[in-house]
Amino acid sequence: MKHGAGGKWYLNARNYSNELAEKENLQAYLEEQWRNFETVYIRKIMGLSSIGMGYKLKMPIIGRVVRWKAESMIHSESKNRNPVRADGHFGQVIPIEEAKLIMMNLAAEPIIQNYCMCRMMQRGVKDVCCINFGCLSGVIEKLPRFIPEKTKVRLGREEAVAALDEQNKKGRVATVWFQPVPYVNAICSCEVPQCGGLRLRTDFGLGAVYKAEYVADINPDLCQSCKACVSDCQFGAIRYSPTLKRAIIDQNKCFGCGHCRDRCNYSAITLIPRENVPGIANMY
Amino acid sequence: MKRTKITIDYSKCGNATGGIDPRDCSACLKVCDPAVFLRHENLKANESDVNDPQFWQITGVWLDLCTHCGKCVAACPQKAIRVT
Repeated sequence: MKHGAGGKWYLNARNYSNELAEKENLQAYLEEQWRNFETVYIRKIMGLSSIGMGYKLKMPIIGRVVRWKAESMIHSESKNRNPVRADGHFGQVIPIEEAKLIMMNLAAEPIIQNYCMCRMMQRGVKDVCCINFGCLSGVIEKLPRFIPEKTKVRLGREEAVAALDEQNKKGRVATVWFQPVPYVNAICSCEVPQCGGLRLRTDFGLGAVYKAEYVADINPDLCQSCKACVSDCQFGAIRYSPTLKRAIIDQNKCFGCGHCRDRCNYSAITLIPRENVPGIANMY
Repeated sequence: MKRTKITIDYSKCGNATGGIDPRDCSACLKVCDPAVFLRHENLKANESDVNDPQFWQITGVWLDLCTHCGKCVAACPQKAIRVT
């Protein structure tokens, strides 16, 4: 199932199956990828590393080549993908209820929680907030630097759902990841700017994370101007308008994570399917 | 437009030459609002070296997001960072 083909790739059970991982020999790929995770931005690819990527993307002609190359790596489905460059590793923002649905019904055992490597490499912070599953769990368990010291590593489905809920309350956005496409084996609780994927998307416009299949929509009659929704948006898509005396949503910026909806005390904000809003229907 | 350069003196930051382990410090990573820095193992490191402190270092990666605010320079206990 191709992205944007009217279905949700992350609800396709085949993408979670052990058979898929075995058939494509993904365990070896993941071992190589995870052992070298922190070096992904400093490796040279065609003579260029990600250091100062913003400058490189702004260069005439060369910038367009770099963007094309980066996009084709991120979405690569070719046979000779390079794990140390994380070829074929991208994700999508999902609302919390779909993250829970995946955790309860689709995620392959065993399910583990581990230190988020993005926060480790870009903030020097050890935070247990990534949930991985399927054959990736065994790969990570062999790498001590990602294994939490004080909390449980392996989780039951209910425990994983509770962990996702807790991250949601902290204001983190749930994302589901191909690693590599089409194998799904992680749900992260991400935060701009220290998430490697969201950073590439929000700062450089690269498709490392797609927006959700949904978009937030506000009912002006129900909004009570409490501004509770405003503080939690990581994408700058919602603000309080003193002129209208209510919150307004910029659906062009909205990633559809549902955080503003979860914070609203008056049910004024709902998530509606992206395809129902013609102007942004295909803008993932 | 002038391009930002972040130079880190690895003789001061980094365990190899008797300095500090970047994994214990990481002060610059935490103080930088746009998260310009990356903490990573050296490309020379192989599998068995990953836990060896001398193979870890910090690099300024997202240079175009740097605003030259100077917080990392002030926060570095080794005075190893220079932003130009």
